[in-house]
Amino acid sequence: MRAMEKDVSNTIQPRLTRVFRFVRCSYADGVAELAYAFDDGEELVERIRFPHAPAVPAARATAFDAALKLLHLVAGVSYYKAGVPPRIELADGPLDDATAELLDQLYLHGLAEFAYRNGLDLRGRIAFPRVGSGTKAAGSHGGVAPALDLPKRTLVPIGGGKDSLVAVEAIKSIGDEATAVWVGNSALIAACAERTGLPTLNIQRELAPGLFELNRLGAWNGHIPVTAVNSAILAVAAVVYGYDSIAFANERSASAATLEYEGQQVNHQWSKSLAFETLLGDWLHTHVAADLDYCSLLRPYSELAITRAFAKLTPYFDVFSSCNRNFRLLGPKPVDRWCGQCPKCHFVFLALAPFLPKPRLLAIFGRNLLDDETQAAGFDALLEYQDHKPFECVGEGAEARAAMYALSQRPEWQEDALVERFRSEILTQLDVAQLALEPWLEPSPEHRVPARLQAALAAIG
Amino acid sequence: MKFGGTSVATLPRWQNIRELVASRRAEGARVLVVVSALTGITDALKQLCGEGEQDKRKAAAGAIAQRHYDLLEHMQLALPDTLGSRLSDLAGLAANGPAPRGELAWQAQVQAHGELMSSALGAAFLSHSGLPTQWLDARECLAAVALPNQNERTRLLSAMVEAKPDPALNARLAALGEVFITQGFIAREQHGRTVLLGRGGSDTSAAYFGALLKAQRVEIWTDVAGMFTANPRQVPGARLLQRLDYEEAQEIASTGAKVLHPRCLSPLRDPRVPLLIKDTNRPELDGTVIGPEVRAHAPSVKAISARKGITLVSMESVGMWQQVGFLADVFAQFKQHGLSVDLIGSAETNVTVSLDPTENLLDSDAIAALASDLAKVCRVKVIAPCAAITLVGRGMRSLLHTLSGVLAEFGQLRVHLITQSSNNLNLTFVVDEEVVDKLLPHLHDLLIAAGALRTDESALFGPSWQALYGGGEAPDAAPAWWRGPQRQRLLELAAEATPRYVYHLPTVRQQARELKSLAAVDRLHYAVKANTHPAILATLAAEGFAFECVSPGELEAVAAIVPESVPLLFTPNFAPRRDYVSALATRATVTLDAMYPLERWGELFRGHEIVLRVDLGRGLGHHEKVRTGGSGSKFGLPLDQLSTFLQLADAHGVTVRGLHAHLGSGVLDAAHWGEVYAQLSSLAERIGSVAFLNIGGGLGVPSHPGEVRLDVAELDRVLREVKAAYPHYQLWMEPGRYLVADAGVLLARATQQKGKGAFRYLGIDTGMNSLIRPALYDAWHEIINLSRLDEPATALYQVVGPICESGDVLGTDRRLPEAQEDDVILIAQAGAYGKVMSSHYNLRDEADEVVIDA
Repeated sequence: MRAMEKDVSNTIQPRLTRVFRFVRCSYADGVAELAYAFDDGEELVERIRFPHAPAVPAARATAFDAALKLLHLVAGVSYYKAGVPPRIELADGPLDDATAELLDQLYLHGLAEFAYRNGLDLRGRIAFPRVGSGTKAAGSHGGVAPALDLPKRTLVPIGGGKDSLVAVEAIKSIGDEATAVWVGNSALIAACAERTGLPTLNIQRELAPGLFELNRLGAWNGHIPVTAVNSAILAVAAVVYGYDSIAFANERSASAATLEYEGQQVNHQWSKSLAFETLLGDWLHTHVAADLDYCSLLRPYSELAITRAFAKLTPYFDVFSSCNRNFRLLGPKPVDRWCGQCPKCHFVFLALAPFLPKPRLLAIFGRNLLDDETQAAGFDALLEYQDHKPFECVGEGAEARAAMYALSQRPEWQEDALVERFRSEILTQLDVAQLALEPWLEPSPEHRVPARLQAALAAIG
Repeated sequence: MKFGGTSVATLPRWQNIRELVASRRAEGARVLVVVSALTGITDALKQLCGEGEQDKRKAAAGAIAQRHYDLLEHMQLALPDTLGSRLSDLAGLAANGPAPRGELAWQAQVQAHGELMSSALGAAFLSHSGLPTQWLDARECLAAVALPNQNERTRLLSAMVEAKPDPALNARLAALGEVFITQGFIAREQHGRTVLLGRGGSDTSAAYFGALLKAQRVEIWTDVAGMFTANPRQVPGARLLQRLDYEEAQEIASTGAKVLHPRCLSPLRDPRVPLLIKDTNRPELDGTVIGPEVRAHAPSVKAISARKGITLVSMESVGMWQQVGFLADVFAQFKQHGLSVDLIGSAETNVTVSLDPTENLLDSDAIAALASDLAKVCRVKVIAPCAAITLVGRGMRSLLHTLSGVLAEFGQLRVHLITQSSNNLNLTFVVDEEVVDKLLPHLHDLLIAAGALRTDESALFGPSWQALYGGGEAPDAAPAWWRGPQRQRLLELAAEATPRYVYHLPTVRQQARELKSLAAVDRLHYAVKANTHPAILATLAAEGFAFECVSPGELEAVAAIVPESVPLLFTPNFAPRRDYVSALATRATVTLDAMYPLERWGELFRGHEIVLRVDLGRGLGHHEKVRTGGSGSKFGLPLDQLSTFLQLADAHGVTVRGLHAHLGSGVLDAAHWGEVYAQLSSLAERIGSVAFLNIGGGLGVPSHPGEVRLDVAELDRVLREVKAAYPHYQLWMEPGRYLVADAGVLLARATQQKGKGAFRYLGIDTGMNSLIRPALYDAWHEIINLSRLDEPATALYQVVGPICESGDVLGTDRRLPEAQEDDVILIAQAGAYGKVMSSHYNLRDEADEVVIDA
C-alpha cells in the first residue's frame, strides 16, 4: 500500500486539474474516436462503434460532420465531470451561440445532481467558448439546415424497461418502419430487443480506459446525463444509416425536478426532459437536417398511463426490467432482473400494481415489495412522504400516491404491510380528492412528436 | 413394461427394448409392453386438431406418417398392414375433420393414433427380430368409467378407468402368446368411443394393466433411474430412493417429482402390485421399487420437494368457528371464482389456504374478485409468490425431534403456513418463493447431517444423482493419504506420544495447486486462522499464496515466516482501535466491516486505501455458527449504510480500493461464489475507486463418505463468466479450510469402553480440548481405528473424550472394529480449526504437532 501511495503522487490529481480540453474527433470505418484531455495530460479516447455502417453519402457529409461534432461535445460530459476544472477549451475553435447554449445548459443541468451530491456549484463554472456575441450562427436567427431526404423510418432506442417497449409497440401498431437500437452490451436489453421482433442495431460505446484510472485516482464521480449522450450517438446513427426520426420513450414526469438546492432545480432526468428534447430537436433541425426529427413518443403521458399500457404487453413480462442495478449477467429468475431494493423497482412495482392481477405482478418481481416492512423508507420517498423524490427516473410523488391510494381500496392489496401502513398513517394526512388515478391516465397536449408518428400516440391510450 | 416417447423414437432404442423384453422372457415372465407415441407425435397430433383448414390437416397427417416411414426404413421393415391401416385411418380423420363425430370425440380419436401407430410398429419390429409379439388394442381391455363430476371434455380427454384384477383377461392373453404390445394413454368408454387418459396417461395405462392382470410387477422405463430425495436439478446431491411404499411415492410425486404421475399408483395399491422405475439407458442401476409398506426400516424422511408459484389467501375473522356454515360459504367463493384450494391451515380466528398457479389465477381478475367477495365477511390478505416445501416420509411426527436444525433454518424465514395431515406422511412449510432455490440444497444437507434423512440405510437410499449422472468423471477422490504408505509412520508417531496432530504437506500443496488452477482469480490468500503452523505457512508462501490475518497476533506469526514481498490482508471483526493502529504500520491491506472505525477513528485511516467488507444479506454455510451473512450475523457492513460509509471515507481521505464479502463456510455449490462475485461487481460499479473484489473463502470440504466434492472446474467456469462481464476488477479469494483440512489428522489412543443400554462408548485420550468442531458445529469427522484398519467394522461406538462435559463426543454411531485399549484412533480432516481452537480445558495436556513431508 505504501508503494501505491507513491505512485499516486507522481500522476494527475483529477480534482486539481485546471482545463478540460476537447482535443479532436474523427470517424472512419464505422468507428468514431472522441479525444479529450485534462491540462497537459494524456488523451482520453472514447470509441463508438457503428456496426455494418455504410459509407456516408456525400450529400450528408456536412450534416454528418455537424452530428459527429455534437457527439464529441456531448459525450465529453463523462470526462469533464472527473475533474470539473474551471476552464473548457476547444481545439477547433469556439462555438456558435446556439451550440454553446445547448452545451452550457446540458452540462449545467445534466450535472446538477452530480454537483448536488458532491457539494459543488457549477453555476458560472461552465462556459463553452463562443464565437462572440457579435457573430450570428445559423441557428440563432432561425436558419434551417437543408433537408436530406432521409428515409422515412424510425430509430427506437430500447432500454430494457417498460417505457421503450410501450413506444415500440405503439410504433409497430401503426406499421411504421422502425429499428430497435441500443448502446452498449446489455444482455437484458438484447433479450428485450429480440422480443420486439423489430430489426435491431447495437451500437458499442467504449469509454476511455483512462477514465477508470482517473476514478481510481480520486476523480469526482456521479450521475451523468446519459440520455443526452445516447441521443447524440443516435443522431450520428440516423445520418449514417438513414433514418428521419429518433423516437425516445421519455415520459411527462421526466420534466419534473427532483429537488431544489440553493435556488437551482436539480432534475435527475434532465436529459429526458422536454427542455432538453426541445433544445436538441431544434438544434438538429438548424445544424444537421431539416428532416431529422428528435422526439419522445411518451411525452404526453404520465408514468401511470404508460404502466397501464405496458400491463397489456404480456410477452415482455419475463424479459424486461426497469431496475437500475446493472445486471450484466442474465439469469432466468426474477431476482436476476429485479433487485427489489432500488427506487426503480419500487416505482415500477407500485405503478403496475393497479393494472395487473396481483399474482401476475408478484410473479414478475418474484416477491411482494409492498408486503415488506423494510422497504417502507423507499416507498415513502416515492410518495414524497418525509423525503424528497429519489434521484431516479421515477414518476411524480402525486402519481405514486394515486397508485398507492388505488391499492389501498383493493381488498387483495389492502392488508399488505406497506399498503396497510399507508392507510393508517399516511392517508389521514392527504386529501382524497387529490388521489384519483383517472386524471393521470389523460394525455397532455405538450409534445414534439412529428406528424408521421402521431397516430402511434392513440395506441398508448 | 412401459416405454415413453423417446424410448420408442429410434431404432437403437427399440433394440434396447427388445433386449429388455428378452431378458424378462428369459426369467420366465410373460411380458406386456405399453408404449407411448413417438416423441413429438402427440404434440403434432394436437396441432393437427387445432388446424382449421383441411389442406393443412392433411399435410400434418402426411408429416406424421413420414416420421413412421423413416423409422421403418431404419428398421429395414416393410410397412406392416396394422400400421398401414392406422395411417390411412389418420389420413381419413384429418381429411374429414371433426364434423361427423363432434369436436372432442374426434380429437380423442386423432390423438389416440400416436400410440396406435407406435405399438403397431413395435409389434412388427419385435416379431421380426425374433420375439413373436401380439398387438393388443388397449381399448378392448381398459373401460373408462363415467364419474359424476365429469363433463364431456374430461370424459373424453382425461378419462378414468376402474382396474380390478380380471382373471378372464389373463386367461385370454395366456392363450394368445407370451409377449404383447399395447398402447398407453387410451381407453374406451361405455358408448364405444375412444377416450384419452390425460397427463401421465401412459404410466397410468401401465398401472391399469398391472392391476387388471395382477402382474408380478409394473416396470416404468424412463430416462432417469427413479425417484430421488429431492429434485436433482435443485439438489445435485439428491440420493436415489431405492424403496418406497405407495403412499410415500404418491406424496413425492404429488409434491414435485416429475418422473411418475401420482395417478398411476392408486390402481396398484389394492392388488399390491409393485412398480419399478428404471433408466432405459442405464438398466444396470437399481431404480426405485414402489410397493406395500415395509415396517423393517427406521422412520426416515424420504424426500424434500418444493413447488413454486403458490398464492396464499389468509382469511381473518373473530369467532369464525362459532358461525354455522362460515367455512362452507368461504369455500363456495373459491369455487365460484374458479380457484381450487390445495393446502389449508387454520386457527381459531384465521384460515389460510393455498392456490396453485393457474392461468386463471395469473391473468384474470379472479383473485381481485375473490378478495372483494371475501372482504365482506372477513379480513383478507393475499400472500404471494410463495413456495411450498414438503418433507415426505412415513411417520413424520416421530421424526420431529431430529428436525431441530431444519426448523431453526425456517426460523430465519417468513413461514406463512405449516401443514401436516393425519396420514402423517408429510410436513409442509409455505415460505417466500425467492428463498427456495438456495434453501433446498441446504435443507437437504441439514436433513442428512441431522440423521433425519437416514442415508446410512443403504437398502433405502442409493447413490446421489451427481454420482450417477453428474459430469461423467468419477467423483471418488483418491484415498486419503493416511490410508496408504503413511499409515505405518502414523502408528509409529502415535506410539511416541498421543494426542498429537500430524500434518501432511504434500496434501497442502496438492490443494493449493488445485485452487491455483482457477484462472479468473488474481490473488489467493490463505486464511491463516485455519492453521498457523509455521511449516504450513511456509509451504503456502512457496506456492505463491498471499495471507489473510484477523488479528495482530496472526499478522506477527505470518510476518515471521513469509518473505517481505508476500502481500498480507488484515480482516478483523470488532477489533479494538489499537489493532488497526498496529496493522496500519505493517504492509497489510486493512479491511473495515463497520461504520464505527471511520466515524470515531477516521483520521487514523487518512490517506490509506482500505477494503470494505459488506454484508450481502442471507448467509450460507454448514452450520448456523459458521454463517457470516445476514442481519443475524455480526460481520459486514449492511448495504443500506454503504453510501454513508463512502461519504465518511471521502471526508477522511480514505480510498475504498476493494470490496469484500464472505457469506459462510463449508459451501459446496460453485454458483454461490458467482453470485457473490456478480453482486460485488455491480456494487463496485457505483464506487469509482474500487480495483479488486475479494469474494472470500468458505470452499466446502465434504466430510461424509459419498458426499460430492466441490467441483473446482465448475467454480472456474462460473468465475470466468463473471470476470468476462466485469474484466476491470481483480478477483481475490481467501480460502482456509479447503487448503489444510484434509492434510491434518488427530491421533489419539483408546482408553476405556462402557456399555450403557443400547449404547457402547469408546473412550480416547483426548476430546473437545483438542478438537472442538464436533461439539461446536456438530461437525462430522471420519474416525478410524488405525491399528485395525483392515478388520471388519462390527461394533457401533459413540467415540468420546476424557473431558468432563456431556458434549465431549467426537463421533456418534460409528461403525468400527472391536477396539482394544491403546489402539491408535485417527480423527480425519483435523488440519483446519483443530489445533488453533484447542484449549487447556480440564488442564489436560495439549496435543503437539508433527509435520511430515513426502
